[in-house]
Amino acid sequence: MAAPPRHSTMLSISNGGTPQSGPNDKQTQQQAQTLPQSPGLRVPSNRKTIYDRHLNRSRNAELSRASFAYLFGEMVTYAQRRVTGIQDLEKRLNEQGYPLGLRLLDLLFYRSTSTSSSALSSSSTSSSPPNRPLRIITLLHLIHGPLWRLLFGRSADALEHSVSPDTPNEYMITDNDPLVNTYISVPREMSMLNCAAFVAGIIEGVCDGCGFETKVSAHNQPTEMWPSRTVFLVRFGDSVMEREKVLERSGVK
Amino acid sequence: MSYYFTILSPTDTPLFNIAFGTSKGGGDGIARFRFPETAQYMNQFIIHSSLDILEEAQWTNGAMYLKHIDTYPPAAAYISAFLTPSGARFLLLHQPPHLPSSTSTGSGLGSSSLLGSAGSTTRASSSSVAANPTSPQTEEAVRQFMNEVYENYVKTAMSPFYKQGMEIKSPVFRTRVTAAGKKWL
Amino acid sequence: MSANKTSRIGEETRVDKVNAELVTLTYGTIVAQLCQDYDSDYQEVNKQLDKMGYNIGMRLIEDFLAKSGVGRCANFKETADMIAKVGFKIFLNVTPTVTNWASDNNQFSLIFEDNPLADFVELPDDGRAQDELWFSNILCGVLRGSLEMVQMQIEAHFVSDVLRGDETTEMRVSLVRYIEDEMPPEEE
Repeated sequence: MAAPPRHSTMLSISNGGTPQSGPNDKQTQQQAQTLPQSPGLRVPSNRKTIYDRHLNRSRNAELSRASFAYLFGEMVTYAQRRVTGIQDLEKRLNEQGYPLGLRLLDLLFYRSTSTSSSALSSSSTSSSPPNRPLRIITLLHLIHGPLWRLLFGRSADALEHSVSPDTPNEYMITDNDPLVNTYISVPREMSMLNCAAFVAGIIEGVCDGCGFETKVSAHNQPTEMWPSRTVFLVRFGDSVMEREKVLERSGVK
Repeated sequence: MSYYFTILSPTDTPLFNIAFGTSKGGGDGIARFRFPETAQYMNQFIIHSSLDILEEAQWTNGAMYLKHIDTYPPAAAYISAFLTPSGARFLLLHQPPHLPSSTSTGSGLGSSSLLGSAGSTTRASSSSVAANPTSPQTEEAVRQFMNEVYENYVKTAMSPFYKQGMEIKSPVFRTRVTAAGKKWL
Repeated sequence: MSANKTSRIGEETRVDKVNAELVTLTYGTIVAQLCQDYDSDYQEVNKQLDKMGYNIGMRLIEDFLAKSGVGRCANFKETADMIAKVGFKIFLNVTPTVTNWASDNNQFSLIFEDNPLADFVELPDDGRAQDELWFSNILCGVLRGSLEMVQMQIEAHFVSDVLRGDETTEMRVSLVRYIEDEMPPEEE
């Protein structure tokens, strides 16, 4: 089969479009689904597309940690050339993590609906589809457990709520030894930089995706034992805190 | 039964639309809405008018599949909803071919077939999917349809070039949704 | 070194692992970001990816030599085998096929059956990306950078990619020359 014309000038009617008005006797002719579509991308003759690849195919696949470190390091170096300071750089890394959070969220839920051993629950017996998180604490557990396991092969090390009465909207997720800091050598003049800003962006994406407006930042909190210990500060917006009260009152879990 | 399926972004931008008819019970898969000239606008209007209800349901029920959430009596239309965890909304409008007769309740059929053997369940659901938008069989068929679309949606969203809120233009995606409609509805 | 022995080194070299999808998704983010920053000037994106790969390659070779414990290759054929069966195996967990040798034995192709960098990827449907963007172009730079550190100047480029609708994903690698003197590598 010849390759379809790819530089078609056809107007986009791929979104359903309006029903084609032909010589219609009014019963029929609502064949929006039969309208010609944009020809789309070329595909190999085996027709291998993203839609033909099983979403679980790489579920347990592993790759060299060094490869990740090299790629991530280049990502940071590249970002660094396009910004003016550490804050800018962290913002940029955060923004690059954000869409990943949205993707991982969908992937996590897909995997727990499609298999009997849920990626979201620790018990493998439940086969009922997981629920979207409605409350802050459920959301944070999702991040601390399943999300961390998908990304880093283990849960995060701690999950805490701010004890200050002034900041009830603040939560902390701690990683004692973040992968993104392990192999990354930060230039001296950037010693305050925490590359985990990328992970903070991922967390922000997950929260936002679930409908929890949030700001997440990564902070170096080294201890003697864990020199690259990082605390992710999760600050929920006012609208979230308001809703949380309403849901609490109506008993939503 | 005629169907209008749409995917909305978290901020209500339409990302994908498709109209189709039932393939069950000898259906030819072609949509025949009651007001053919205005169906497109009508369907979109009905779907958008159900969004308030959806937003309420979204925060009381954590399930992804929310079953049928709304009806629109003037067009005898029913709306079923599925929410992805990342905030996209899948909405399916279904409209039976004729106004349901007031004498037929259909409840006997629904409950008995649930207890029936696998074979008879399939049979019963085939007919009731086409006939009764609120029966357990229909809810289940729609759930299967939504799950299958979700799988393909995740595949779309996983691509690094897909950004949230972008229209889904892939003809392959459309083919997959069409196939899911044929298979389950 | 026999081809079998080379494969065994690739199989048996133990390295620290991470979830493959983290690598895949991170790489996808990098390419998507470049496309955005360079306003879909895909030629420029290819160039940037190659540059990043070059930087990686220069550092990666040390790691490679330390982990695999292999020594100097006798000829370019052995180098090709080492790249495919040890290098790619260690760092990407795939083993591309070495094929299509030029008659002077200075040019070969790597055919990728699998490519974890491209998992989940669909190129933008803008009528240009499939003609202009080499999504995995970073790999060309990695080869160039790492081989330069072991005194081989090579040229590498993709000639086909399943993401573009081609039947295979193929990279062409040519030996330009062996570098005689110890020169400091040019800065990029």
